[in-house]
Amino acid sequence: MKTTLFLTLIVLLNGCSDKLTRVMPYEKEHFADPKMSLSPLAERAEHEGHIFLIREASAGGDSAYQGGCGCR
Amino acid sequence: MKRILLFFVLGVSLYAGVSIGDQAKDFNLKTLDAKKSLSLKSFKGEVVLLNLWASWCKGCKKEMPEFVALQNSYKKGFKLITVNVDDDPKKAQKFLASVEKKTGQKIPFITLQNPSKSVAKDYQCAAMPSSYLIDKEGKIRNIIVGSLNEDEIEQLKTEINQLK
Repeated sequence: MKTTLFLTLIVLLNGCSDKLTRVMPYEKEHFADPKMSLSPLAERAEHEGHIFLIREASAGGDSAYQGGCGCR
Repeated sequence: MKRILLFFVLGVSLYAGVSIGDQAKDFNLKTLDAKKSLSLKSFKGEVVLLNLWASWCKGCKKEMPEFVALQNSYKKGFKLITVNVDDDPKKAQKFLASVEKKTGQKIPFITLQNPSKSVAKDYQCAAMPSSYLIDKEGKIRNIIVGSLNEDEIEQLKTEINQLK
């Protein structure tokens, strides 16, 4: 009984892992759609995107380019 | 103790990724025109650059003309295999047609379709695009995250020549 409970707990905790909840880079097709941009004006979108990134502390932001790690 | 070990194993299994020196996982995918299926295993004995890309990815757009030149510079011993992860392969066909128009050359490399994104999942693709340099024995020799520019392609050529 205890083991079953423990295993269930592990499965549930792993379900919350970053790998399962995060949108992976290869799944960002719909995010990359131009209609998903925050603003129709390119310059303004860049600025708003920057603010959005900081505010939401989001991984990968609104762009589908690269990984959002900021290293490239 | 057993429980901690079990927890650790399950945790690691979720995060285990591919790394340099690992055997490249085999796959069998249809070509973009769906006329035939190809597996990675069938390229054993050749140096392979496996590239994961999508038509919506800006970095892929940037590096694709470089890839045309890269494959054209090798007649034998090197194959560039690109795996497209678009939901609709037609988008990839349109994308490649635009690359052909831009470069004025026919696409010389192999393009496979993978709408289920299984290859990207298996190879733990950390960013789009990602490339994996695979040696003649099928071992991963380099992992390149992000798009490649002209200088990086030159560096890659040195690696390919060493592995050939």
